[in-house]
Amino acid sequence: MIRLAIVLAAALRCAGADLVVLPEHLRPDPFGGIVDADRVAGAAPAHWLALVSGRAAYASCHLIAIVPEGGEYGIEVAGFPEESGLQVDLYREWFHLLPASKRYYPDALIPVHSPFRSTMPEPDNRVPHQTAQGFWVDIWVPAKTRPGMYKMTVTLKAGRSVSSIPIELTVIAATVPAEDAVAIDHNSYGTSWLADQYPALRKRLGADFYTSDEFFRLIHSLHGIFYEHRGVFHQLGYGHAGKVGPEFAPQLAGSGRNKHTTDWSLYDRHYGPLFDGSAFAGSRRGPKPIPFVYLPINPEWPASFLWWGEPGYEKEFVNIVSDMERHFREKGWTETRFEMFFNHKKRYKGFPWDGDEVRFVRDYDYFREYARMLKLAVPADTPVKFVFRADVSWTMERQFKELAGIVNFWVCGGGEFGWYDDAPRMLKGRGDIVWIYGATPAVTEPSSHITLQVLRPWLWGIDGFVHWQTTDPGSDPWFQFNGGREALIYPGDRFGIAAPIPSIRLKIQRNAVQDITLLNDFRKSQPLERLRAEAARRFNETTLQDWWTPKPAFATKDPLEWTNADYGAIPENPKFDRALDAAAWQRVRAYVLELAREVK
Amino acid sequence: MNLRVFLLLTASPLLFAQNEDKAKDLDRVAQVATAMVDGDVCLRIQTQRSLQFLFKTDPRDPWVASDNFDVNDEAFIQTKKTLIRLARLCAESCDANLWMPVQSNPPQVQILIRNVYEMSAFWKWGELHQEMPSEMKRVLSTRERVSVSRGTGMISVLTPVYDSLGDIVALVEVVGQAKRDLRENVK
Repeated sequence: MIRLAIVLAAALRCAGADLVVLPEHLRPDPFGGIVDADRVAGAAPAHWLALVSGRAAYASCHLIAIVPEGGEYGIEVAGFPEESGLQVDLYREWFHLLPASKRYYPDALIPVHSPFRSTMPEPDNRVPHQTAQGFWVDIWVPAKTRPGMYKMTVTLKAGRSVSSIPIELTVIAATVPAEDAVAIDHNSYGTSWLADQYPALRKRLGADFYTSDEFFRLIHSLHGIFYEHRGVFHQLGYGHAGKVGPEFAPQLAGSGRNKHTTDWSLYDRHYGPLFDGSAFAGSRRGPKPIPFVYLPINPEWPASFLWWGEPGYEKEFVNIVSDMERHFREKGWTETRFEMFFNHKKRYKGFPWDGDEVRFVRDYDYFREYARMLKLAVPADTPVKFVFRADVSWTMERQFKELAGIVNFWVCGGGEFGWYDDAPRMLKGRGDIVWIYGATPAVTEPSSHITLQVLRPWLWGIDGFVHWQTTDPGSDPWFQFNGGREALIYPGDRFGIAAPIPSIRLKIQRNAVQDITLLNDFRKSQPLERLRAEAARRFNETTLQDWWTPKPAFATKDPLEWTNADYGAIPENPKFDRALDAAAWQRVRAYVLELAREVK
Repeated sequence: MNLRVFLLLTASPLLFAQNEDKAKDLDRVAQVATAMVDGDVCLRIQTQRSLQFLFKTDPRDPWVASDNFDVNDEAFIQTKKTLIRLARLCAESCDANLWMPVQSNPPQVQILIRNVYEMSAFWKWGELHQEMPSEMKRVLSTRERVSVSRGTGMISVLTPVYDSLGDIVALVEVVGQAKRDLRENVK
C-alpha cells in the first residue's frame, strides 16, 4: 500500500557512486536506467521516496546502487524504530538475459541481509559492463503498528564515496483484511521437477530425496511462498493416464469390494501441515489451512478403469472416497476444499473422454456419473468440504446449464468467460465458486500487466484467477531466459537456499491483491459498483462494460466448428494490452489510498 | 581393478539375468496380447472425424489436430480393459499400450491407448502421431514379436494385433522398467 513522491534526481547525478530509488512498477536495468517495458512519462530514479501503507500489508520499492567505476560496494539499511514493528526485507534483483532481444530484465529476487557487500559487476550475474544493481525492498507493516510517519535510511559505500537516501513510510489506520478479495492461484504439475530444480538437495539426499523431510519441507515452502504473497498454490498429483504420485494419495490394496486404503503416511506428511495450517506457523500471515487442494481422483484412481461401467467401479470409488472423507474428518481437516477434478484429455490417450476443457458434449455424461458416485461416498452432513471442479472453455456456456448442481467449482478460460456477462450472477447466485484461468505475463511486458488478472475477477464479481503454470522458469532462467510466462518463482538451489525464491512480478501481484482486498472492504460503506467503476476508470480509462467482450459470431456455431484461429481473429482492445502502461496499478492504488485515508 | 569396476563386473551378470527374466515375462504377456486384442475393435476406436483431422495443419491453429482428437467410447473402453487385464499378467508392474499405424508417407504411427504406469519406450510425450520406429516396421513386416531395451532400463515387447481378415492392424507394446520412476509423467 504505497504512494510515491519522487523528486527527480537526474540532474543531481554525479559521476561517482550513487544510490537512487524507484517505485515498484518501474523496474531497473543493470545500467542505471528503467527497463523498456516500464518507461512512462516522467519516470526517473529519485533520491528520496515516500511510501504510504495500510496495516497488515507490505510496502515496496526498488533501490539501485550505481557504481560506474565498478569494484566493491556495500549497502546498509538503518531500519525503522523497533517499537514500530516495521520489518525490512532486502532482495538482490537478478538480471535475466533474454537472448532474443539481448536485453536484461530483473525478476528473481535473492534474499540478502543488511549490511550487504558485493562487487560491481555482480560476479554471479555476469552482466558485461554492469554499472547498477537493483534491490527490492519489502517493508512489512504489522496490524499492530501505530499509524504515523516512520523513516529509515539506506547508505551506499563504494570506494571513498558514501551516499545515503531517506525512505519515509506513512502508516495509515486502515488495515488490510486477512481474507483476500480474490484468490490468485498458482498451478503446477507433480513433483518430478523438484529434483531437477534442486540438484544440490537431490545430490545430498540421494535415493531418499522423495521421502525425506527436506522434500516435504520444500513442498511446504512452495505453498508458503505463495501464501505469504497472498496467493494459493496447487500441485496436480496425477498424469493423463491416471498415474498418481506416491505423495499425492494414500496407498491402496485389494480389488472390488475388498479395495481399501493401507497407508496414509506419505499423504499425511505431505498434506497434514497444509490442512491444519501448521506449515505456515512461522509466516507473517500466521498459520492457516490451505484453502484448496486437488484430490488424486481420476478415472483410474481410486477405482480401476477395468471395472468402469460395472458394479466394482462404484464399489471401489465409494469405499475409498468414503475412507478419505472419514480420514479428513477425524483429522479435523475441514477448512480446505477438496477438489474432485479431472485434468485428463483424450488426446493423451489415457481415457476416452475429456476431463479438462470439454469439447465433445457427450463427455458430460462422465461428469454426471462421477457426481452421482461422489454423492454416494460423502455423507450429506459431512463437515469436510468436497467440491466438484471443472476447467472449462469451448463449451462452458452449455456446461453451466447442463452441469448445474453437478459441478460447483468452475475454472473458466478467461477469454471465453468474457463473452458471458450474465454468467457471474447465474453461477454465484447458485453458490458456485468461479475462477478464470490464463497465462502469466512475461517479464518483457509492462509491470502492471500482472495486476490485470487481479483486477479482472474482482470487477467481474467472481472469486479468482489461476496462473496455469507457475513453477517452470525454463532450463536456464539465469542466462538464457524464456521470459517467464510459466514461472512466478525460481529455485533457490543456485544460491544455497533449499526453497523457492520470489519474483518481482509475484511481489507486484501481491501488493495489488492487498490493494484490491482493502478496496473491497469499502463496500461496507460505498456501493460496490461505484468502487469497481472507479477502479476500472483509473486503471485503464475503461468502463465496467469494456471488460466484457461481445460474443463473436463464430461462438454461435457448434463449438466443434470453432478453431483457435477464430480466437486469433477477435479484435484486441489495446487498453488491455499494448496501451496498458506500467503505472496502471499505481492509479488504482492512489484511489484506494484516497478512500483509506478517511479511515480513522 | 578399482572397486567400481569390480562391482560392475560382478553385478552385471545378475542385472543381465534380471533383465532377461523381465523380457521373457513381457514376451509371454505380449504373446497373449496378440491372441486377445481384437483388431476389428481397434479399427473402430478413433472416430472418422478425428482421423480426418489427424494430419491437418494450420499455422494459425497449432492444435487443430489434437483439439479434434476423438474416440468411440465403446471400442476404446473394450480394448483398454483387455490391455489392463493383460498388464495384470505381468509378474511386476507393466503397461500394455496400443499403437495403430496410420496411412501416410513416411509411415507414421500413433499411440491410441496408454495405461496407468504411463510407460512407453516409444511415445514422445504429447505427440498425437509420430514416425514409425524401425522396430514397429519390423513387427509389421515379419509378424514376429520384437523386444527392445532402452538405456532408461525400459524393456518393451512389440507384438502384432490382427483383424478378422488376418491383417496386422495394430501393435501392442508391453513395457516394464527395471526401476520404475514413480513420478515421471505425473503432469
